[in-house]
Amino acid sequence: MTYSPTFKDHLAHPRNVGEIPNASVIAEEVNPVCGDRLRLSLMISNGRIETAQYLAYGCPPTLVTGSVLTELITGKTVGEALAITRAELIEHVGGLPSRKHHAAALAIEALTTALKKFVL
Amino acid sequence: MSKRQVYLDHSATTPVDERVVQAMTRSLSETFGNASSVHSFGQRARAAVDRARREVAALLGARQNEIVFVSGGTEANNLAIRGLCQAATQHGRHIITSSIEHPSVRGVCDQLEKEGWEVTRLPVYDNGIVKIQDVQETLRTDTVLITVMLANNEIGTIQPVVEIGGLVRQVRDSGRKSLWFHTDAVQAAGRLEIDVDELGCDLLSLSGHKLYAPKGVGALYVRKGVRLAEQNVGGHQERERRAGTENVPGIVAFGEAARIAREEMKERNDHAKSLRDRFEAAVENRIDDLVINGDRRQRLPHLTNISFRFIEGEGLLINLDMKGIAVSTGSACSSGTLEPSPVIRALGRNDELARGSIRFSFGKANSEADVDYVLEVLIDVVQRLRELSPLGKKVEFQMS
Repeated sequence: MTYSPTFKDHLAHPRNVGEIPNASVIAEEVNPVCGDRLRLSLMISNGRIETAQYLAYGCPPTLVTGSVLTELITGKTVGEALAITRAELIEHVGGLPSRKHHAAALAIEALTTALKKFVL
Repeated sequence: MSKRQVYLDHSATTPVDERVVQAMTRSLSETFGNASSVHSFGQRARAAVDRARREVAALLGARQNEIVFVSGGTEANNLAIRGLCQAATQHGRHIITSSIEHPSVRGVCDQLEKEGWEVTRLPVYDNGIVKIQDVQETLRTDTVLITVMLANNEIGTIQPVVEIGGLVRQVRDSGRKSLWFHTDAVQAAGRLEIDVDELGCDLLSLSGHKLYAPKGVGALYVRKGVRLAEQNVGGHQERERRAGTENVPGIVAFGEAARIAREEMKERNDHAKSLRDRFEAAVENRIDDLVINGDRRQRLPHLTNISFRFIEGEGLLINLDMKGIAVSTGSACSSGTLEPSPVIRALGRNDELARGSIRFSFGKANSEADVDYVLEVLIDVVQRLRELSPLGKKVEFQMS
């Protein structure tokens, strides 16, 4: 399996690791089949994501997509973040083998859950 | 500058010994004949194959005409189990095996089960070792084959093969001759002293590339008088047991590797064990929340299998690989489905521990400096992955 330089960089140096104290919203999603887990915390101010942090357990694509996602959504409005697709996230990771696409699906699911929870 | 490389995956495969490379290279140019040909080129190849056969036989305390060369461990296991069962159908259709066999044994047993055979898979308990009492209790009058590995490929535990061989001998002494015993010695060969008479086995599988020979060559020991149904047909090679032109350079290489393994076994094992023990002691001392899988005494000297809690093996493996360190994990996550190592699960460990298991297997070229380098990297990577993991943290679920 060959991963992209972006992928390897995020795996070796994951960004925005942790949990934001007094976050605006926190969501955790688990893949019930493989047990991969992603926990996302967001600080949202005036409808814009100011800070995003994550924790993850699972295979390397799950660890990496979480890291890439937090960079991708920081500075975006809630609406802009909700519009991010799984395919876009995979593109930002530098590509994933098809059998690992579930990792990006988990990250998008955690983001969607968090933002919907915030909006409601 | 190229980064440091440390190979700690000798249970997956070994680098080819330089002396073996030389023997194989000579064979490629000097004994290229077909060993079945009657002319002198063929006879030189035949002589080279026979020399190699003597060396492999000597590694096992066997006679040379009891060695059948094949393509590797998987073929040896297939030929042994399927070949024996097909030849012994009239005596019964029951097989006893363990729950931690290599996939090539597991796969043949599963296939035979679909074809109407009954298969009993013995538990291994938390130490990863089969109990001889369980073998005794599951033995039936229609059992024709017991296949239990000599040492496990993931955790290295050594199975009570001598005791099972003794049990088989007792059954035969009581008058029932239709019970045979196979052991997969792919991981054990070159690492444990093996004597087929002491083990009491009828069939024993070997693979060249686990003992510093190249891939593509292995052997099956077949005790004199044991009948196997041919699995390859269309030739008379290997005393009608494995049709196909012999891989002469591969066999020569295997013979040379077997000779070296016999001569250097103690030295190699002392070296590997000392590195393994140094590594294991330091890991236990410096990293919390881990489990060393399998019995600590009754195991191969060169490997350790460790489950690191709260993290997953593949992430650890790739992070180590990015630092030039090669190890293995028995678990795989693919298309959103998880296949935790069946061996670690058989020890009664949960999915998290089975997913976080890593095998470190040492070899003759490793050094203490390698161990120290791997330790430094491992401690850093485990710490980083644990900081990232939500498992084991007391995180509050907050809602705004």
